[in-house]
Amino acid sequence: MSTSDIQFLRVLAIDPSPSGFGYVVIEEPSELIDFGTKTVKGDKNFESLKRIEELINYTCPHVIIVEDITKKGALRRERVRRLIRDIIKLAAGQKIKAFTVSRLEAKAIFSRSVAFNKHQIASIIAAQFPELRPYLPPPRKSWMPEDSRMSIFDAAALALTLLRLHKGKHLKDKKLH
Amino acid sequence: MPPNKLPHYLRTYRKRASLSEKEMAFLLGSKSAAQVSRYERYVRLPNLEKIFAYQVIFGIPPYHLFAGIIQKVEQNVQRRAQLLIAKLEKESQSRKTKRKLEFLKGLVSKISSTTPENI
Repeated sequence: MSTSDIQFLRVLAIDPSPSGFGYVVIEEPSELIDFGTKTVKGDKNFESLKRIEELINYTCPHVIIVEDITKKGALRRERVRRLIRDIIKLAAGQKIKAFTVSRLEAKAIFSRSVAFNKHQIASIIAAQFPELRPYLPPPRKSWMPEDSRMSIFDAAALALTLLRLHKGKHLKDKKLH
Repeated sequence: MPPNKLPHYLRTYRKRASLSEKEMAFLLGSKSAAQVSRYERYVRLPNLEKIFAYQVIFGIPPYHLFAGIIQKVEQNVQRRAQLLIAKLEKESQSRKTKRKLEFLKGLVSKISSTTPENI
């Protein structure tokens, strides 16, 4: 089967978090197939990669999306940067195209819908996908750590940004990073 | 290359309904949540009764719930029908054979035009 035989696109977006990672699987045009968070212990990158591989085998994505850590606005620690690079390598090993989207690109896309901060973006995503509403964390106060469920919405924001930027066309034949 | 559709969308619809595996098992009349997990991880296929239970619970016909499996079945049936057509065309063209060929050709073209997206 050639890539032109694939009639639609299934994307897996992954957002690493301090405790593991959050993910969403979206099928074009915008059907949420799967989502969740995975918590890992011990060697976080190794365990995360193991679970990501299982997820890839389960969801058979055509495209994997992660955050662009090279662009301005990427405030990620070294461990997470390493993990994102490893996810891209893992995708390449499985012959799946990996795309990167920067936080600023996502913010720019969602600012059109008058969403400027993480919670506003998450609220818009929850409105689009009602099944995510129970997972929407309350607005974070400055003294509170980030809710791990926010990584689901961050992953969804990455996926929707890429799909909106390119409306799904030629994603299989084009690399963004 | 991954297939176009996932074998089935049981987990998708369960999560959409915000049901846990345990609750799903209860609705299906399964012994445990592990059974539901096995269905969802493609380890086991639900039996006919469970497939209809899924249909009743989600209100989605099996054609959509098991889109990837149906796609595969369609491809296999289409391939076999084409083989049978080729075999029958070599035989003497009795009225019965002609009727069979008509049916099989109709079947092949019906499968070609039928994809889960078009239903």
